[in-house]
Amino acid sequence: MKAFKGLDTLSSIGGLVALLFLGVLPTLFTGKYLVGVLTVAAIYGIWAVSWDFMSGLTGRENFGHSLFIGVGAYAAGFLNVHFGLGPWWSLPASMLVAMVFAVVLGFPTLRLKGPYFALAMLSSAVIMQRLMLIFWEYTGGEEGIHDITPLIVNPLHYYWFVLAVLGGITLLLSWMARSRWGLILRAIRGDEATCLAAGLPITTYKIMSLVISAAFAGLGGALYAHYQLQVSPQLFAVVTSITIITMVYVGGMGTIFGAVGGALLLTVMTEGLRNFGEWRLMVYSLLLIFILFFLPNGIIAPIWQKIRNLGRPS
Amino acid sequence: MNALLQVKQLNKHFGGLHVLKNFNMELHKGEIVGILGPNGAGKTTLFNLLTGFIPADSGEVLLHDQPIRQLKANAIVGLGMARTFQLCRPFVGLTVLENVLVGSLGPRVQTQDLGERAMHLLAQVGLADKAQQASELLSYGDLRRLEIARALATEPELLLLDEPFAGLGSSEIEALSVLIRQLHSEQHLTILLIEHKLREFMQLVSRVVAIDFGEIIAEGSPTDIVKHPRVIEAYIGKQNPLNLDNHA
Amino acid sequence: MEILIYGAVTSAIYAMLAVGFTLIFGVARILNLAHGSFYALGAYLAYVLTTLAGLPLWLAALLSIVIVAVFGVLVEKILIRPLRASQLGVLMISLATALVVEQALFLTFGSEYRNVPAFIETKYNLFGVDVAGQRLLTLAVATVSIGGLYGFIQFTRLGSAILAISQDPLAAKYMGIPSDRIFSLVMAISAGLAALAGVMAGPFLSVQPSMHLLPIVKAFAIVVVGGLGSIPGSIAAAFMLGYAETIVAYMVSSSWTEIVSVLATLLMLVFRPAGLFGKRAAF
Repeated sequence: MKAFKGLDTLSSIGGLVALLFLGVLPTLFTGKYLVGVLTVAAIYGIWAVSWDFMSGLTGRENFGHSLFIGVGAYAAGFLNVHFGLGPWWSLPASMLVAMVFAVVLGFPTLRLKGPYFALAMLSSAVIMQRLMLIFWEYTGGEEGIHDITPLIVNPLHYYWFVLAVLGGITLLLSWMARSRWGLILRAIRGDEATCLAAGLPITTYKIMSLVISAAFAGLGGALYAHYQLQVSPQLFAVVTSITIITMVYVGGMGTIFGAVGGALLLTVMTEGLRNFGEWRLMVYSLLLIFILFFLPNGIIAPIWQKIRNLGRPS
Repeated sequence: MNALLQVKQLNKHFGGLHVLKNFNMELHKGEIVGILGPNGAGKTTLFNLLTGFIPADSGEVLLHDQPIRQLKANAIVGLGMARTFQLCRPFVGLTVLENVLVGSLGPRVQTQDLGERAMHLLAQVGLADKAQQASELLSYGDLRRLEIARALATEPELLLLDEPFAGLGSSEIEALSVLIRQLHSEQHLTILLIEHKLREFMQLVSRVVAIDFGEIIAEGSPTDIVKHPRVIEAYIGKQNPLNLDNHA
Repeated sequence: MEILIYGAVTSAIYAMLAVGFTLIFGVARILNLAHGSFYALGAYLAYVLTTLAGLPLWLAALLSIVIVAVFGVLVEKILIRPLRASQLGVLMISLATALVVEQALFLTFGSEYRNVPAFIETKYNLFGVDVAGQRLLTLAVATVSIGGLYGFIQFTRLGSAILAISQDPLAAKYMGIPSDRIFSLVMAISAGLAALAGVMAGPFLSVQPSMHLLPIVKAFAIVVVGGLGSIPGSIAAAFMLGYAETIVAYMVSSSWTEIVSVLATLLMLVFRPAGLFGKRAAF
């Protein structure tokens, strides 16, 4: 008898179909605009998925995810512009840098209870943002780093690349979430003392999940850097972290695939709200409040559950 | 042959309070030993010290002659000593089966098919039909069984049960006693058990260690312990140990 | 000498913010991330009521405090209380509220700095240092208000009720203390105090929509260092942090000041999560 759920065929097929659909979409409506929006949506998807894997499963909400994004992006910027390395080096470098930060920050903060961990990570992101401004001679200060070379020049091809990365990461993290990894992380959420009594080294698992989460966030940061062709301290902003958390909430916490859906939905939605440009953040915040109250399980995941249950006898 | 578990001069202070005083104890393989004492005697502290949940001030704890006092709680489980908690805390959000599975992930488990093994354990404790239920919805008696199943899942040699009968009704107590006896005989488990209700104790354990204020006040068979003057003294005013109708 | 005086002023403002923050946590276990918004609203309301409604400053200040206090009570009742079961839920919703307020302020007033009029326009010379009268007044107001609050809690029946709830909410309930009403009262005090800080400090600190963020970070830092739920701890920590920042600003450069508090938070959380005086640890 299978102990762990494993990847579920129906969902995998659904994911594949969605991926193909997203890939084809810009070819139907040509023009740089759509490709740009979808690329950003996909990158937010990567950020959201990486957040959900750690925070969604363990329940330890990380309010400083933007830190890993920022250091990954800046790593890309540094290597590319200051050290003149080719853009492809950014990808492993950004992951490595983010992972190092995760280990260094994880050790002292992960033993703190929920809200304190969240706020410690928030404080860390704020510090990083400040440091980028303070050491402006090296980091470019407010302006950040400019003239980053793109990974792939053709926007459509870059989009497909990012989409592929998103698909790969989602697949990997979904599989992990439904394997013993996910079980352990969910158990940690349930009761840590009992986890110890069950023989699990919880600190190791908590840090490892943060490291994995950070690695992919950093990777997303590098992808973003090579898309925008510049990085600025704004990447470390609290707003970025909150946006991502909102996306995960919309999608359904802990479901992994829901985070992707949430990211896509919200990015597209805000583009639709472009006319009310200044209202964007307001809408996000109100939406978050609404969801916290009325839809704590999100929108995307419950809808997918309903679709699945349609085919089943009651 | 050396004892399975040796406790030597174990001490613990909480602030100014000397909670456990030069505690010495030996446990041999195959025994069921009970630790008896009124509330506040230091029983749960002893368990927490033995299983690595709180650090001791001084002393030694040897499992199979290996010192374990400084080890982390999960490492001790990996060496074969598992425990249950007085206040059952299931993994909220996980099913009953998943709760047991979590216990199955340690280094002592050799089986490949974890799912089957978990179902087998649930069947042993009588929870097989509730495998897919949300664990936080179980009744108190069932939660106790789940605790035991989860501890068993770690493939222990020595099982520490912290007040397993607390809060249960008489028929549940009876059933649980039967289960414990079964586990002892069929699985060759060594069991150390804390209780402050003497009645349940008497029928289950082969040896009793009575403690009060962090010290051992008597040791012996259940029938001897009941007559021991210091034990009676410790219990006067708290509960009548000879009152065999007392369930509270 | 400059450091002594300016440090005191900064500390006083921080103390007003931190005390309110720690009070609502001590009583209701709520980490209210919208606390900075009360500060911001205090300043903005003072601006609006004087500039647009033409009210005299003292009246504008009073109304501003009252309005923010009521707003605080409403936020607590409507948004926070339903989610009290989850500490993270409270964090999220208070943060979301703070963002909504920030965006509302941004949309209404834009991002330029606004001018809040001061009670005292003149500068004084104290021990050879030029200090704006408003800053000195702020220091005085802070001392009086916090002292008053402390006295209220220690010496009145209502204050004892508040203490009771913060020590043991269940027992307080069994004794018939109406905890919900006390929460509202404490929230009103907390928000009012923050608004007062905004009104007093508005003239010499920046007034723009995102002004809520740094105070929140600092209030949190102070409360962590001083110990969550401890008013004396918050006051002590406020002074420590206020002076630390002032010293850093003078010795090194002012851009490092924000880092001081955030760093202090992190270090405290790592080494002594209960803070200096706190009883409730962070884990």
